[in-house]
Amino acid sequence: MKHQSIPYSREHERYLRKCRKRAVLVWTCRIGLLVLLLGAWELVAALGWVDPFITSSPSRIAATIAGLYADGTLFYHVGVTLWETLAGFFLAVFLGTFTALALWWSDSLRKVLEPYIVVLNALPKIALGPLIIIWCGTGSEAIVFMTVLVGLIVAILHMLSAFIATDENKVLLLRSMGANKVQILTKLVIPSALPAFISMLKVNVGMAWIGSIMGEYIVSKAGLGYLIVYGGQVFKLDLVMSATCILCLLAALMYFLVVLLEKLLVRNGRT
Amino acid sequence: MKHILSFDDVTYIYHTRRGETVAAEHLSFSLDEGEFAAVIGPSGCGKTTLLSLAAGLLTPSEGKVESGGASFGYMLQKDELFPWRTVEKNLYLPLEIKKMKGDAPRKRVRALAEKYGLGGFLQSYPAQLSGGMRQRAALIRTLAADPDVLLLDEPFSALDYQTRLNVTEDVSHIIRSEGKTALLITHDISEAISLADRVLVLTRRPARIRSTHSLGFSEKNPLKRREMSGFSAWFELLWKELNA
Repeated sequence: MKHQSIPYSREHERYLRKCRKRAVLVWTCRIGLLVLLLGAWELVAALGWVDPFITSSPSRIAATIAGLYADGTLFYHVGVTLWETLAGFFLAVFLGTFTALALWWSDSLRKVLEPYIVVLNALPKIALGPLIIIWCGTGSEAIVFMTVLVGLIVAILHMLSAFIATDENKVLLLRSMGANKVQILTKLVIPSALPAFISMLKVNVGMAWIGSIMGEYIVSKAGLGYLIVYGGQVFKLDLVMSATCILCLLAALMYFLVVLLEKLLVRNGRT
Repeated sequence: MKHILSFDDVTYIYHTRRGETVAAEHLSFSLDEGEFAAVIGPSGCGKTTLLSLAAGLLTPSEGKVESGGASFGYMLQKDELFPWRTVEKNLYLPLEIKKMKGDAPRKRVRALAEKYGLGGFLQSYPAQLSGGMRQRAALIRTLAADPDVLLLDEPFSALDYQTRLNVTEDVSHIIRSEGKTALLITHDISEAISLADRVLVLTRRPARIRSTHSLGFSEKNPLKRREMSGFSAWFELLWKELNA
């Protein structure tokens, strides 16, 4: 309910101004901090207080990225990693959500599979590295597989706990209307788990990047993880830092897209 | 008057891993068409079990619940409106569940909403409504599929006192003017007296029926009833029976 027709009181206008001021201040500090850090980094490297061969520097990172762009390999490596990450992310999210639905549907199935899921959740997925190479080869498939493994169990557990937490009284209400299990699922369980689905997506953005970069560490011929490993091996720390910076940017972008999706899907009445 | 719902020597036992609890024992009573009955009892005596048995959500361990094919509408303590649906979509929920297609039932629901002061709020979300209006919306949702019997499970107890008196009056007015049969469960004696035609008193768990009283008020308005001379006499009697 909005009150647009009523003009704001002076006190409310003062309050709004204060809010705006605060927002501006926060953003100024955020950007200022970044500029300050980059400036200090550049300065200590330029003054020779630290060895830029070890620490690199913002200008050397920029030059490295420009070099990658010039020889046409920048978008190739970014594309490879992005594809692996997104493929793994979507597979983990879909498989995880559907598995969670199946486990919600059947109490017995859930009881039977519970210990397996708990163990798989605790297992460090990187331990499966050698097996994955033997099973999936040394191509992108292996990395996608690793990414799915890292995200899948988290997605299952996250969604299952959301499905199970469905309000008992609302279930009772639907049952009193004569609802069957499919109707309870589609009218209540799925829509009420939407906020949990979004938060699962946010967690899985991080998981997908862990999976794809870890996968590229184990086996890869291209990608940002490959650049980092290769750069480390030949002591080209400019390359390591450049790839890491690009990674930061991409991960932030992906997270931002999920937040955007949240704003589109979860609106009215949900606070 | 014919019986629309009858309990015939009904016993219900809850089973858990840690043991069994007799929630209701040898319950027998019946509800006439168009009647407003209230059930009062000490807290935790199995009142809600009684409603679930009536609605057919639970099957009695012994005895029989007969409803002759009557349909039920269940109203709970909280409104349980779905926050992601507009008020209008919330009101249509029973129609969707019962697969009542077509425009006629929806038109009827909209008319009900219009008649009882929700017309301007159909496109709002539940979070934008006051507690009293939400509960009114919950009642109209309960009426949406045109049930024969309304089962009211302490529908006012989550509201603050002032809202509660107002909503009680609303609900009473709506149920009376729609000519519905209603079974109200409550632990509030004065609520039972101000609303019902007949009051059933339950014992402590396992619930049995201690007594049945026809109140005999000709006044139907709950607030006016509270001012009538017979009110406090009923209150004292029921209070004694509840605590006996």
